[in-house]
Amino acid sequence: MALEAFHPSDSLTMGVELELQLVNPTDFDLAASASDMLHLLGRAPFPGDVKPEITESMIEISTDVHTRHDAMLAQLRQIRDTLVAAGDRLNVGLCGGGTHPFQRWFDRRIFSTPRFIEISGLYGYLAKQFTVFGQHVHIGCASADEGLYLLHALNRYLPHFIALSASSPFSQGVDTLFDSARLNSVFAFPLSGRAPFTLKWSDFEQDYFSKMENTGVVKSMKDFYWDIRPKPEYGTIELRVCDTPLTVERAAALAAYLQALCHMLLERNDPPPAEDDYLVYNYNRFQACRFGLDGMLVHPKTSEKLSLREDILATLRRLEPHAAALGSQAALDELHREVAYEGNHATFLRQQFAEEGGAQGMVDAAVRVFRSC
Amino acid sequence: MTEALMITLTGIAWPAALAIAWIAGELGYRWFSLPRISSYGIAGFFMAASQGGFLADPSGSAVAQLADFAFALILFELGYRINLRWLQANPWLGVTSLAEAAGTFIAVFLLAQAFSMPMMPALLLAALAMSTSPAALLRVANELKSSGQVTERMLHLSAFNCVLAVIVFRIIIGYWMLADSGSVFLGIWNSVVVLVASAGLGALFGIATPGFLRSIGNVDKNATVTFALAALLLTAVSHAFKFSPILAALAFGLVSRHRRVVLSQAHRNFGALGDLLTVLLFVFVTASLEWKQVILGIELALPVVLVRLAVKTIATTAFARLGGITWRKGALTGLAMMPMSVFVILLLEQARHLEIGALEQVSGVAAIALLLEVLGPILTQRALIWAKETHHTEEH
Repeated sequence: MALEAFHPSDSLTMGVELELQLVNPTDFDLAASASDMLHLLGRAPFPGDVKPEITESMIEISTDVHTRHDAMLAQLRQIRDTLVAAGDRLNVGLCGGGTHPFQRWFDRRIFSTPRFIEISGLYGYLAKQFTVFGQHVHIGCASADEGLYLLHALNRYLPHFIALSASSPFSQGVDTLFDSARLNSVFAFPLSGRAPFTLKWSDFEQDYFSKMENTGVVKSMKDFYWDIRPKPEYGTIELRVCDTPLTVERAAALAAYLQALCHMLLERNDPPPAEDDYLVYNYNRFQACRFGLDGMLVHPKTSEKLSLREDILATLRRLEPHAAALGSQAALDELHREVAYEGNHATFLRQQFAEEGGAQGMVDAAVRVFRSC
Repeated sequence: MTEALMITLTGIAWPAALAIAWIAGELGYRWFSLPRISSYGIAGFFMAASQGGFLADPSGSAVAQLADFAFALILFELGYRINLRWLQANPWLGVTSLAEAAGTFIAVFLLAQAFSMPMMPALLLAALAMSTSPAALLRVANELKSSGQVTERMLHLSAFNCVLAVIVFRIIIGYWMLADSGSVFLGIWNSVVVLVASAGLGALFGIATPGFLRSIGNVDKNATVTFALAALLLTAVSHAFKFSPILAALAFGLVSRHRRVVLSQAHRNFGALGDLLTVLLFVFVTASLEWKQVILGIELALPVVLVRLAVKTIATTAFARLGGITWRKGALTGLAMMPMSVFVILLLEQARHLEIGALEQVSGVAAIALLLEVLGPILTQRALIWAKETHHTEEH
């Protein structure tokens, strides 16, 4: 199967996918309830899309294609309310968060579709350990080359998304000291990481994809777990580093932040992306995963040391006119509050752990925050 | 010489029986995928003295009290898993519960009457048949690590129908005493007062224990032992005052849950302590059955078992769609709710002190208990597997 043709879409449209946790309201462990939830949700029209994920304790929702932040947020709220109502009827709790803090991976049940069973057979325990929950944001691109340009131009901003969305401080029962432990699980997969540096779709196809295809390692774009990857059939690039935030408000704000960034990058006032930008990529990525907003970045062009928090605040200021043009000031305000005052959701979860005296109390708080915010 | 040997042997009879039952459980599980508790029950029955075995009838002995404690732990755990807010969010669950419990009561009563059983024993039998034994359900669910709507619903419905069964059972006994002795005091004492006091006592424990845990801190480490000790104490106190340990333990779990000190997953079944006591509980239950009674009652037992299965399954299926699940899962919920042995035997055991003749006349109970002791958990296990709520399904 050759690489699919890139179907251009309207520039700067956006769509969000969220992987959500299904938990048991008694002990707050993950609950294998996806089939039951999907059955009940299937009876009435769903405001968006909902589908199973690899294990029975997660479901994935996605929005329609949006151009405006407020419309996207409205739809996400509708989706959330529908999910919460269905969960209440089935005694199932829903929450965000990039990892479940104390689930044991060997207890997970693989959702029985041929693809998931095949993946589980191939990756063994990795597949079950991959019970992590991410937010994916799609940005529409007018051409494949525009997509590749944005994909690489975003490399410098990628840590922002990791730190802003980080909500997975705990894994397998312990505090990992990472703000986003989820990305460490993603890293275990052989085809994770960054996309190869090509700015032309034809180069990408000939110099990379078809060679990889000939090795027999990959069949389609689906086999790559890159941090940002092109999605030719949608005509989008897909940002995949975000943990699922605890609230849909944060999820919508992150999407709007990416949209505004792309709006700015498409003006092409920044120096163009280069292969050497990736010298500091993994280091910066680690800083964001480990320390969240307190991380320190190295600027890929100037090698200057920057505080991640300061860098985001500066970027938010730069984005103001772009947000104004896109109508997404409210989203940037939400992120500004997070960065300047409240801290990210990993911080919130650690506070809950301390206050509630345990991991179950922390999940309980995540369930409450998801439904009532 | 022989006498001395016999005394020595009697001393080791119970530990030996537990070891044998446990081995039977493991082998049955490995060779035939039988739920372990079914094998414990079969082993217990054949080791009982009335079947020519070496176990004396344990009723009224210290073993009975241990069995009560084991059951109290299970009921506590069940109560802890019950989410009363679910009833509010999904009223059809409550409707299902009332329909299956009331339907079973009426159907079994009519059936017993058709077999010309006297009024009082027929009423008592009908009340007992309402219940689904939570011990078998919880053990099978935990053994399979099942999770899903059939699992959740069978446990909730079981908790509700046990409470209903205890209430109806007590009211019938109260009425019986009133009619028999003419004593209003005895009648009310043995029904209303016992019910309210038992639930109240359990609720008190449910408030005090989490409060105590919170005040000493370190909830994660101390919770299991503290709750187990509290359950032991609660069982002893209920016995001393002749309250209902069943209701008390259930109320204890229920109130503890809603006071929100969360037990961690590792403590499900109360760990090794729970496992050990479960062997004892299931051996105890069938060791108290007599072969002769089983034979005598089998004629009535078979129809009762079938009618009970039919009514419960019809009720859970009828309200399945309204309650938010498929017809199939509804039917499987009914099927999963077959077990009743442990609950019934302990309820009878705990009512022994009342010295009511009618209890002896509730014929068929022994046969039903034995039948369901073996079949009940197997049906529960199958229902959960068919519902694809276990780990077993995707492995082949």
